[in-house]
Amino acid sequence: MTTIFFATDVHGSDICWKKFINAGKFYEADVLILGGDMTGKAIVPIIGLGGGRHRAVLLEQEFLLEGEAEVDAMARKIKSRGYYPYLLTQEELAELNKAPEKVHELFLQEALKTAGGWMDYASEKLAGTGMRVFVAPGNDDQFELDDVLRKSEAVTLAEGQVIELDSHHEMISSGWSNHTPWHTYREETEDQLAARYEPMIAQLKNPKNAIFNIHVPPYASNLDEAPELDEHLRPKYAGNALKPVGSTAVRAAIEKRQPLLGLHGHIHEGRGSSRIGRTLCINPGSMYEQGTLLGALVKLGKDKIENYVLTQG
Amino acid sequence: MSDTSLFIRKATGLVRSWSVFDAFVYAFFSINLVTLGLYIFSQMYYLQGGLVPTMVISSLFILFEVVIYAAMIAVMPRSGGDYIWQSRVLGGGVGFVLAVTGWWFILWLWVPLYADMLRKSVFIPILGILGSQQTASWFQTADGFFVTSLIMLALVAIYIAIGMKWYARVQKICFWGGMAGMLFVLVLLLTGSHEAFKAGLETNATTLFGAQPGVYDATIAAGQAAGATLPLTGGAIGVIFLAMPYIVFFNLWPNWGATLYGEVRGATDFKRNFWGMALALIGTALLGILLLYSIARTIGWDFYINANGAFWNYTWGYTTTPAPLPIWPYPALLATFLTTNRAIQLIVVLLMSLWWFGWSGTVFLSSTRVIFAAAFDRLLPEKVAEVEPRTRTPLWALVLMVVPSILVAYLYAYNKFNFQTLTLDSTLVIAVTYLGTTIAAILLPYVKKDLYNASPIAKYKFLGIPLVTIAGVIFGAFLVFLLVEWLFDPWLNSNGQPPGLYGISLMNKSSVIFMAVNYILALAIYLGFKYYRKSKGIDIDKVHKEIPVE
Repeated sequence: MTTIFFATDVHGSDICWKKFINAGKFYEADVLILGGDMTGKAIVPIIGLGGGRHRAVLLEQEFLLEGEAEVDAMARKIKSRGYYPYLLTQEELAELNKAPEKVHELFLQEALKTAGGWMDYASEKLAGTGMRVFVAPGNDDQFELDDVLRKSEAVTLAEGQVIELDSHHEMISSGWSNHTPWHTYREETEDQLAARYEPMIAQLKNPKNAIFNIHVPPYASNLDEAPELDEHLRPKYAGNALKPVGSTAVRAAIEKRQPLLGLHGHIHEGRGSSRIGRTLCINPGSMYEQGTLLGALVKLGKDKIENYVLTQG
Repeated sequence: MSDTSLFIRKATGLVRSWSVFDAFVYAFFSINLVTLGLYIFSQMYYLQGGLVPTMVISSLFILFEVVIYAAMIAVMPRSGGDYIWQSRVLGGGVGFVLAVTGWWFILWLWVPLYADMLRKSVFIPILGILGSQQTASWFQTADGFFVTSLIMLALVAIYIAIGMKWYARVQKICFWGGMAGMLFVLVLLLTGSHEAFKAGLETNATTLFGAQPGVYDATIAAGQAAGATLPLTGGAIGVIFLAMPYIVFFNLWPNWGATLYGEVRGATDFKRNFWGMALALIGTALLGILLLYSIARTIGWDFYINANGAFWNYTWGYTTTPAPLPIWPYPALLATFLTTNRAIQLIVVLLMSLWWFGWSGTVFLSSTRVIFAAAFDRLLPEKVAEVEPRTRTPLWALVLMVVPSILVAYLYAYNKFNFQTLTLDSTLVIAVTYLGTTIAAILLPYVKKDLYNASPIAKYKFLGIPLVTIAGVIFGAFLVFLLVEWLFDPWLNSNGQPPGLYGISLMNKSSVIFMAVNYILALAIYLGFKYYRKSKGIDIDKVHKEIPVE
């Protein structure tokens, strides 16, 4: 039977991606699945001061860097937290500060460059291993990322596909989510989400043995509890008030079709597992900024889950 | 959004910083002056270290605990707290045993303690004021104690069922209501006179609670006979330190429940966490000093301490003569004796009861988290993390919390196997868990270098030594001191004669057996599930191991 390793929301963390690619060997898994949100949320400028000197501010700490080696070390440090390092002059920085559309372009450029590097790493590490890797970009990922994944030899773009994992198990995938307060790239209404899943579900030979790899967790599944926010996106009650923010469309699809397994992410603090009827739903959570790869190892049996465990690599 | 040091794009989860005041409110309730504080101050009647310096010096040590927890939250946020921190640095077995004992099993013992505070500071005063003297008296009995424990468990089950989203709102309301009650109490104490109090005590204690005439003088005499000595201030440094293993029952908890940390954040969030907890600790100490001085001014320190001595001396069975004041000397109730207006008395006691209601709901919050985390790590059956779909209540987790609590509450209420001597075990076991996290904090910069160096706290150093390590060594030394005092108390403090100062030494067989059962049960669960999962093809040891990056 097939053993899958699932992780999600690595958000630009080089370490987490590398751990993900190496997780198959480490956990003796046959299939690797990444649930979406690959791209980083921040760019840290490394500002040239002239004479080989640079300045960067990481986590509110200022670093003055002397020479190429220190700049490289800082760039690695920035990447390890999932941010994109970007070398520029003070003039270029001033220009970026004046032009938000250029910052947007820069994010896209860095996201695609990083993703390209990740695909190369996967090809190199997985060549000849027979390991299958599936990725469905999440709501935080730009659409242009899909082309990078399509071109990869080692990674399969899973969005909107029905994929046969073995002779008993098929998987459908989607990284789209219900609306969030941040208005990210792949968001739509619950009705539109339901319409997105239905054609994939219709193609399944046996929905009860299927895996629903859907980025947003089912509503009120305990995998979707996030701090309640006020109108200024400030957590209420010091973050003690949690509320479910998952998708009712995902929940309805799971309740109706009762697949074997639901793989979810999106809510980083929603780590856990939960049953909706016979369906085991998992959100391994995310600690990408700490370079810790949270994941789930699942052994699929015929018509059942043989075993599973949440991991922290 | 941009500045010269960072560009951030639109992405899920990028929230603004939470309010430090909100964080303060929840930490402030965790070191609860009215429930935990007044309860344990009253039991300290026979110690010789001044209560004010003991509170101040212990708070200084606990500030280092605040540094440690704020730092660990910054390094490993959203990870589940002590369990994950210890598992990552010290190993999965240590993390599991210390987390389930400190955040789950020992909470069974806290149930009768919470219940004791509920009956003493809420039920009995309110019933007395309402004229139900007989019912108030019944709540003083073992049956009344046990029933209060059951009521308390029912309330906690309701809190868990309504969820933290609503309980956080309840807590905020309780904070403002409780502070209004405290203001009333302080005004009564600071505007009243000692003579007026004596007269009010005579009238109200006899009318409402059935005390005999001459209750003031009789209480002083009974307290002196009980050996009540606790001073408000003063005391040599040695006796002040001997009072600390008692007072930490009240103020060791500013870190309770503080785990929030934003994404793409730096030192700001570390400082927010630190100040949320630190201000609660400092604010509680200052409010405590003000309240104690107000008590001394009007009730009289002599009367207050002797009333406590007389009450506990009888309750603990050192005398068969009941205390002349037949109820726990609750300062808020005693302050209301300065008025004969029943409505004012009732309002003040009701408002002060919000200190209990705003705090008690968190008793099993940490337990629920630990039970769920252990189930996700496959160290407990999956079922215990199930949530009943209609009410969204974690029924099995509740069973694991409530059923053992009923047994422990029964043993405590009826004092079976001298269970009432185990009060400070409730603090000792959690202190051991904190010691695990403290050791993890000391070692973190050295054994998890990458993790530490990539964190916002890496810049905080003193003489080149990481701040978290320094704070860990200081707080760790404090915890070791507390543990040595608790466990070796009679040999150190009373010429080898039990019960010593704290009652939970290695000479107390009930305490030793109770704690041994806790730790052995935790170890047995860990090893049992570890080998069971291995037989099913899941290697639990690998769960916390870092994946090598080639």
